[in-house]
Amino acid sequence: MSRRLLMLALLVVSGMAAGCEGTAPVLLPHDPRLAEPAPPPEELPAITLQLNWFPEAEHGGYYAALVHGYFADEGLKVVIEPGGPKAPVAAQVASDPWRCGVDNADKLLLARAQEADVVAVFAPLQDSPRCILLHKSAGITTFEELSRQTGFTLAMNPGQPFAQFLTKKLALSNIQMVPYPGNINQFLLDSQFGQQAYSFSEPFVAERQGVATHTLMVSDLGFNPYTSLLLVNAALMKERPDVVRKLVRAARRGWQKYLSDPAATNKYIHEQNPEMSLEILEYGAAALKPLCLPHDLPATLLGQMTPERWETLAAQMVEIGSIPPERVDVFRAFTLDFLTEQRPEDAAVGRN
Amino acid sequence: MKRWRLWLQDVVLPPAVLLLVLLLVWHAAVEVGRIKPILLPGPLAVAEAVVRNFGKLARAAAFSGSAAGLGFLISLLAGTLIAFAFSQSKWLRCSGYPYALFVQTVPIVAIAPLIVHWCGRGWHSVVLTASILGLFPIISNGTSGLLSVDPDLLDLFRLNNASRWQVLWKLRFPSAVPALCAGAKTSCGLTVVGSIVGEYFVGYGSRSYGLGYLILFTTDQLRMAELFAAVLASTLLAVLMFSAVSLATTAILQRWYDAPIEHRR
Repeated sequence: MSRRLLMLALLVVSGMAAGCEGTAPVLLPHDPRLAEPAPPPEELPAITLQLNWFPEAEHGGYYAALVHGYFADEGLKVVIEPGGPKAPVAAQVASDPWRCGVDNADKLLLARAQEADVVAVFAPLQDSPRCILLHKSAGITTFEELSRQTGFTLAMNPGQPFAQFLTKKLALSNIQMVPYPGNINQFLLDSQFGQQAYSFSEPFVAERQGVATHTLMVSDLGFNPYTSLLLVNAALMKERPDVVRKLVRAARRGWQKYLSDPAATNKYIHEQNPEMSLEILEYGAAALKPLCLPHDLPATLLGQMTPERWETLAAQMVEIGSIPPERVDVFRAFTLDFLTEQRPEDAAVGRN
Repeated sequence: MKRWRLWLQDVVLPPAVLLLVLLLVWHAAVEVGRIKPILLPGPLAVAEAVVRNFGKLARAAAFSGSAAGLGFLISLLAGTLIAFAFSQSKWLRCSGYPYALFVQTVPIVAIAPLIVHWCGRGWHSVVLTASILGLFPIISNGTSGLLSVDPDLLDLFRLNNASRWQVLWKLRFPSAVPALCAGAKTSCGLTVVGSIVGEYFVGYGSRSYGLGYLILFTTDQLRMAELFAAVLASTLLAVLMFSAVSLATTAILQRWYDAPIEHRR
């Protein structure tokens, strides 16, 4: 009997060990999925695109690439997986080379500080939609005025770098900080209540409910991480740059399409997430345009990044205590390799 | 002396050995499997996080522990009173029990806006959520304890024309104490859960925070080692609460009753 138990224990332990190997993020050269490039047509494994939130307008371009078959045009089979609160995007991308993700630049630097070797290859939202949502009747029009309030409640996720940035930059000691509730129910009831939001989403919902709103953009204070970045596993980038190039190309076409003609994509997003009405998605897509293409950036340059922006973000995050300075390797967090080389037909799509 | 050695051998040694083995397996899995800290931090990293954040963890544990402790006392008192009421009338019991079940099953997230609306945010609201979570085991165990009275004793009380109050206070309540103690043991763990989860929704102002806040914060920051440290502190808090309640119930049962063998020293 006890021998049988021992055998069982050994089995369990060996099973656990096998599990560990399975989750190891190292891509072994003999991994059959990454066999040397075979002559076409090559059967690539399906790629999972893990979102950081429920399907919304800020994922629009990726859904457009799916809906309009741009991924398929590149010979890629892509499955988009919705996220939600605390979706561990970078952790999942780091543990499976064929999993890509969508998340924001600050989140990526946090994950890289925890040794998740994940790289940003495409940045559709140049300006962050992150804002503080307020009642218009509260009469607060600047961050300065916000910090002077007394008896005011502000709901933010305390661990998010933008919240740390605000707390550090503004003297918010008279304001009661409370956890972000994930919806705007309390906001609607209380004019002395503000909360974190995306500029193209919650304000619209609040206005629909009859509450006049005012938003303070966090980017106006200088904290402006790239948003809805396309993230890939570093091993995939190293072993199969061709796949990453195809992904980026399809994603760019998707975003170009979404900014010019979002109707079909919005219908699909609405099916995936009925909470998002077609109306709010339409509003979102229109509001995304200036965030994706600020200062008349040509559509062909959609998704671009600059090292300076990344360095600024990293410096800010060190300053506010989000990441220890010794864990910053900002130049490995992104690459411009897949943004520059374009086929002529891509440029043509951009002009349409 | 011999008793001490036996105690060490039987009570302390086995879990300590298991702990050591588990820590070694954990460490080996992280090292050999090259598991990144974003998925699972190693035990050494967690230990380092505990040491580095000890003050913060202790403060947060005191906040959550005090809310859980008071929440437990409230649920013990309120639960016992409700059980008293349930034991007095079948009609009351049958009509009220489904709603007692409600407090057991209601997700805090659903009633959090109400709690915030009525009581505001902060420690006192955390106490309230903790007591809501701890209430049901007391009601349930207390009611069945109060009802399962030795029928012969009940006959004896009736023969002597005991009043309803006398039956309740001198017969039902004393016979219900073991059941109430069992309920208290379940309840105290739940109040720790209630205080930590409650803090997610109704907790903290700008200055004071508990383990729930630390868990939220470290999750957002993807600091897994510190998250594990906070979870470890939560577990220790629950163990502490449980041990205290266990000691108290053992003492009560010993003093008041001709205790069953396992409670005798």
